[in-house]
Amino acid sequence: MSDAIITSDRSIIDLDSCYDPLTGVLDRRIFTDESVYQEELKRIFGRGWNFICHHSQIPDSGNFFVNYIGEDEVIAVRDRSGKVNVLLNSCPHRGNTVCRAEIGTTKSFFCSYHGWNFDLDGSLIAVPNEAAFYKEGLNKKEWGLESAARVDSYKGFVFASLDPEAPDLVDYLGWVGKLGIDMMLVDGPVRFLDGIHKNRLKCNWKFAVDNLYDWYHVKVSHGTAFKVGLVTEAGMAPNDQMVILGEFGHGIGGPGLTHERQAEFDHRHASGDGDPQWYDLQAKHRTDPDVREMLGPQGFRSFGHPNIFPNLWLTHTRQMCLRIPRGPFETEIWWFNYLPVNLPEDQARQSIFGHNHIFGPAGFLEQDDGENWSHSTRGARGTQSKKRPLNFSMGLGQDTVSGDPSGQSGIETVVNEHGQRWTYQSWKEWMQADSWQALMDNHSIPPEGKV
Amino acid sequence: MGADQALSAQARLQLTFEVEEFLYYEAELLDDRRLDDWLELLTSDIHYWMPIRRTTQAKEVHLEFTKPGGMAFFDDDLDTLTLRVKRLSVGRAWAEDPPSRTRHMISNVRVAEVDGDEIRVKCNFHLYRTRLNSEEDSWIGRREDVLRRVDGEFRLARRHIFLEQTVILSQNLSSIF
Repeated sequence: MSDAIITSDRSIIDLDSCYDPLTGVLDRRIFTDESVYQEELKRIFGRGWNFICHHSQIPDSGNFFVNYIGEDEVIAVRDRSGKVNVLLNSCPHRGNTVCRAEIGTTKSFFCSYHGWNFDLDGSLIAVPNEAAFYKEGLNKKEWGLESAARVDSYKGFVFASLDPEAPDLVDYLGWVGKLGIDMMLVDGPVRFLDGIHKNRLKCNWKFAVDNLYDWYHVKVSHGTAFKVGLVTEAGMAPNDQMVILGEFGHGIGGPGLTHERQAEFDHRHASGDGDPQWYDLQAKHRTDPDVREMLGPQGFRSFGHPNIFPNLWLTHTRQMCLRIPRGPFETEIWWFNYLPVNLPEDQARQSIFGHNHIFGPAGFLEQDDGENWSHSTRGARGTQSKKRPLNFSMGLGQDTVSGDPSGQSGIETVVNEHGQRWTYQSWKEWMQADSWQALMDNHSIPPEGKV
Repeated sequence: MGADQALSAQARLQLTFEVEEFLYYEAELLDDRRLDDWLELLTSDIHYWMPIRRTTQAKEVHLEFTKPGGMAFFDDDLDTLTLRVKRLSVGRAWAEDPPSRTRHMISNVRVAEVDGDEIRVKCNFHLYRTRLNSEEDSWIGRREDVLRRVDGEFRLARRHIFLEQTVILSQNLSSIF
């Protein structure tokens, strides 16, 4: 267990008390300190399962896609056997990147510095003038591109971990992480679209993550979207909320149908009496018995935002957002977009219209978010302001986790900050743990009863 | 040259001058925040589009931009451009409140093709923006516009914007290019 971090301005952050679950009060210094950031790279990004790509992005042998695990650049590439490898994009000779494009197809990875050439599985296959200069002194087997310690996929979503001690992906995801991905698959298998919206915000990555559970900001930050009629109050700011908390920091938070609303909806559906409200429209596919079975009795009533800890936000608009840290004060936002494989052409066009107009830097919703998170980050830089902790107390002690015989559970309430609190509680435990074993031994299991 | 060779040098000079006058006027409206007046310059069938750009290997440079109909930073028609303008006047458009300060520099203007009432125009742009105390963004790229003569006046019928950035280095794209 690690108890404290010495900050770059020589103060001490006590990890145990930096977030107080009894009051929901959080030390602001965790958003701006370089030492905290370096520890996050090691203990969170370097340890967890990070989303890398979807199978459909690299369908054929030699297709590659470049992504990041924290600050480590990695290449996801399909090799000749059909396997997806996740390789560190760094030549072991001098460290140069061996892949400078972000997407494409290649036969091998050829280092532009001295010409070391690596196969699609990372093995070193050729070294220029090896016999003349190395004189059999180089064991090429030992000098391939490093692979991520663990690579696995869940229903086509590829994840990797740099820590060999990490639990299996399905155990890491647990029922909540799996549910989050399953919610994206209610219309069947998906294909990812070519083109990812990428832009940089001057914010700490945690403010971006915290926001995905935040249904309090919607009407304020995105007020114009309501005023110009792009979204409706019933759709974007419903009072009925549901939060589902999962092991290791995963969660799902946002609109949820109560049992009563669900019964009402089922009745209307059976009698063919439609309802124009957004989550009812979204709920249509959930009348399918197979979908209900897949999502479970709690999950199929949730229309919230899943987050796969630490930084993968999934949405209902067939979009998915990765928040890649770029130092304590900068985050790269990547919006992936996907469609059900069998979606008719006209519906695909309509969906892509939504992808291009809701999120992304020019999106009608998201263009107003960036400065909020950036200024929240900047607000933690002042000598005095960083002493003032932040308030995450909404709903604290006022709600109950109700379980289901199936093993699923959730909090059914109004707008709240349960998801954010769970994120920071989990963040704290990840930061305190010196190894996967320590995290396994000391992490909180999702609460039951009063929260 | 590639420009419409059917035009005499004199006619091309005249046309280029008219095109430039239009583009500079339009840029002035945007920088003066006269966006309702700017909307008046658009045809009802305008297509305003900025594809996503990627870093590719030289041999795969055909993959550099996403294709029409796919993912894009902007893929707007008159309705969505009108919404972009309208949202600025209803309050809580935080990306533009306080308003950005912009300056459009338009250069390398060239008439690429004349086809009846339509003129395809290529130009380069530098859109410089500052916000709040010290935020600074600089977007450079090229545009391919189609201007159409409607009742003797130019109207903008198409704007395709090709930015020299892959990862957008600004916190949003709340300006009009």
